Amino acid sequence: MFYAQLIVNGLVQGLIVGLAALAVTLVFGVARFANAATGDTMTFGAYAALIGHKATGSLVVAGGAAVGATALLSLTVYALVFRKLAGRSVVALLVTSIGVGFLLRSVLGIVFGHNQQLFTVPLVRPIRFNGLIINPFDLQLAAVAAVALVGVFLVLYATPIGRRMRAVADNRELALVSGIRPERVMIALWLLVGAVTGVAGMMLGMKTIVSPELGWEMLLPAFAAAILGGIGSPVGAVLAGLLLGVAQELSTPFVGFTYKLSISFVVLLLVLLVRPRGLFGRLEGVR
Amino acid sequence: MSLQITDIRKAFGGFQALDGVTLTVGEGQLVGLIGPNGAGKSTLFSVVSGFIEADTGEVRFKGADLGRQSPAARARKGLLRTFQVPREFSHLTVRDNLKAAAPGQTGEGLVGLFLRPGEVARQEVEITAKADEVIAFLRLGPVADLPSGRLSGGQKKLLELGRALMVEPSLILLDEPFAGVNPVLIEELVERIRELNARGIGFLIIEHDLQALTRLVPILHVMDRGRILASGTPGEVLEDPKVREAYLGGAA
Amino acid sequence: MEAYLVAIAIVALIYVLLALGLTLQYGFTGLINFGHVGFFAIGAYTSAILAMNGLPLVLSFAAGTIVAGLAAWPIGLIALRLRDDYFAIVTLGFSETVRLVITSEKWLTNGVQGIPAIPRMFAGISVGSLASFAVLAVLLVVTIVAILGMGRIVKSPFGRIIEAIRDNEDAVKALGKDPARFKVQVLILGSGLAGLAGAFYAHYITYIVPDQFIPLVTFYVWMAIIIGGVGRVSGAVVGTVLLMVLLEGSRFIRDVMPFISDVEMASVRLGVIGLLLILFTIYRPQGLMGDFTRR
Repeated sequence: MFYAQLIVNGLVQGLIVGLAALAVTLVFGVARFANAATGDTMTFGAYAALIGHKATGSLVVAGGAAVGATALLSLTVYALVFRKLAGRSVVALLVTSIGVGFLLRSVLGIVFGHNQQLFTVPLVRPIRFNGLIINPFDLQLAAVAAVALVGVFLVLYATPIGRRMRAVADNRELALVSGIRPERVMIALWLLVGAVTGVAGMMLGMKTIVSPELGWEMLLPAFAAAILGGIGSPVGAVLAGLLLGVAQELSTPFVGFTYKLSISFVVLLLVLLVRPRGLFGRLEGVR
Repeated sequence: MSLQITDIRKAFGGFQALDGVTLTVGEGQLVGLIGPNGAGKSTLFSVVSGFIEADTGEVRFKGADLGRQSPAARARKGLLRTFQVPREFSHLTVRDNLKAAAPGQTGEGLVGLFLRPGEVARQEVEITAKADEVIAFLRLGPVADLPSGRLSGGQKKLLELGRALMVEPSLILLDEPFAGVNPVLIEELVERIRELNARGIGFLIIEHDLQALTRLVPILHVMDRGRILASGTPGEVLEDPKVREAYLGGAA
Repeated sequence: MEAYLVAIAIVALIYVLLALGLTLQYGFTGLINFGHVGFFAIGAYTSAILAMNGLPLVLSFAAGTIVAGLAAWPIGLIALRLRDDYFAIVTLGFSETVRLVITSEKWLTNGVQGIPAIPRMFAGISVGSLASFAVLAVLLVVTIVAILGMGRIVKSPFGRIIEAIRDNEDAVKALGKDPARFKVQVLILGSGLAGLAGAFYAHYITYIVPDQFIPLVTFYVWMAIIIGGVGRVSGAVVGTVLLMVLLEGSRFIRDVMPFISDVEMASVRLGVIGLLLILFTIYRPQGLMGDFTRR
């Protein structure tokens, strides 16, 4: 029963990791680099949601603010920074994304200060179900995540721009030859990634405490889940995120609270040892 | 037999890149391998040189099964390869590219480097002399001290061959040595390959320039869709109706 | 003023050691090590803990260097099979895990409270400024030896191979050399240097806490070698000096604008480093010193 409770607790955390990993994996699949600014972009989303929530008291407005503002930020960063690095080496993009993350965290720290801030959400009596305690607020968050996931997968698999995005991810050269305009795909990608990151950030902020360092700590779990899921595989990223979230909670009684953060690192190492391309990873064509 | 490739199969996802390839190269032989794009020629090279693991099949070199040996281990046995797109060490000079390829250098270990400086210096002289021999042989003298990234495409092909020569090869897999090389340099390369062959080095050559290739090799294999379609002398092979259809017919 | 300059010079040289290690790893071999600070921390804590238990400093320094170098060995064996970017992520994860360990294992590291009153170097010299000069002198000698050793390495057959690995790893394999063997050695060597830098840091500052070993330190070093020009030993030195001027210069902002708090100052520094990383990578990837450009 105790473990079942931990699994339930881990699921929401896992959804957050899964969303962040989805953002990582989309950028990796289409733009071909590991975006280390993902964590700090989540922080931005959390603050956007916080402002929206404080101004109106509405969680819907908070969500809208997080999605809208983060999508815009993401597009701006692409236009000002990553677009200028097209065709450059992996390390150039990696280092730059670290720089973007630092800059974001710095600006958030200066603007909002380093005081920890909380979402004031009404306390609701937890639901008891067969001895499991479920917080209705968690259910709401899970619903938000589910809506976001459905949205992303609809865009990816049911719209022309999503098809193009996947085509570029599959085979960039072929996609370009067949007349796909990379600029449009990139704009769509960064808007979508920003929206996903914003939702992930908002959820994280609501589950914990909002501070400028909030998102950075999610970066490793997000990377780990993206790799575990097979880089470039959206479904894999979400499943792996859930798995990691649950694994973190389940491990807490054994390794203690601090070390639960390193679970993702250990999982990452183990996966890479056994399958250097991730669990659900496709083989990249080699000629 | 120098190289024996038996029933190699390799699939990428649903795509059968190699579908049961069997091929041999005798000691010191010059063998050509042609076929349309996507026939699996480069994949075959990657399997033989150990960069890609085959799904099934066997590669033997000088009688011994190569199994899952690393590319480096195969190269040390004298089985060398070049790449279709040259992979020069672009920030090193041409001479340093060649010197980097020399085997058995004491100064490549940190212990040897600091504890046996005399031996390192002596080897350095030998290696430099050997590199200069290769430079002279391949007529790379004028560019010997340039960073190799600044060479022309043809010169890079020569450099790739030169690096392989530094390793004391007994068989070299050449992947499109004439592609992007100007006609004068092709003549030069053909001559060099003949000379090397006369010294006992075997070659398996992928090439689209049939004119140059057929003058060079007495034996030709044609690949299509992951299989060997035909084998024989260039004359026989090029007259084969199957080949004309799959390869020459398709190209016309 | 003199004491201040000596202090800056000491910290700068510690960063030069870190930058030399990263230059060997990234500049010459192309290893994207995002976890440099982890090895710095291992060196600092190893030397500090041993010295607190009475080991002579010479031995504790050596231990810090060796333990940091050895810590790189398993990481190397695991990570070197990976693609460049996975390697970056794994090393970043490693350094964060090191920080978790030193935060959690209170029995060994005293957790977040850190280790205070770490023995100084030259504690026998009672005049403080003289002792600082002695530290500076030793550090200078060590740095010069490190620079000479690096120079020897990069101009040797070993150096030729690691540069070849950076330019094209597959071609190195195709020529019968095993890149992993070289990369592991480079990783150990660079991490050993970071460990030595950590030992100097611990015994100079005399007080270490986990918060001093955040990833930002790694990227200070990255910034330094990017400013100086990647892939050259002189670049590491010049870049570090410029970085120090920048970081120390930011202190003087406080003199002009005393209302800025410590945390705000930390935010400003973070932002400046972030902005510089972005601007340099986009507009001046070859750094200020040289025309080395990768790919």
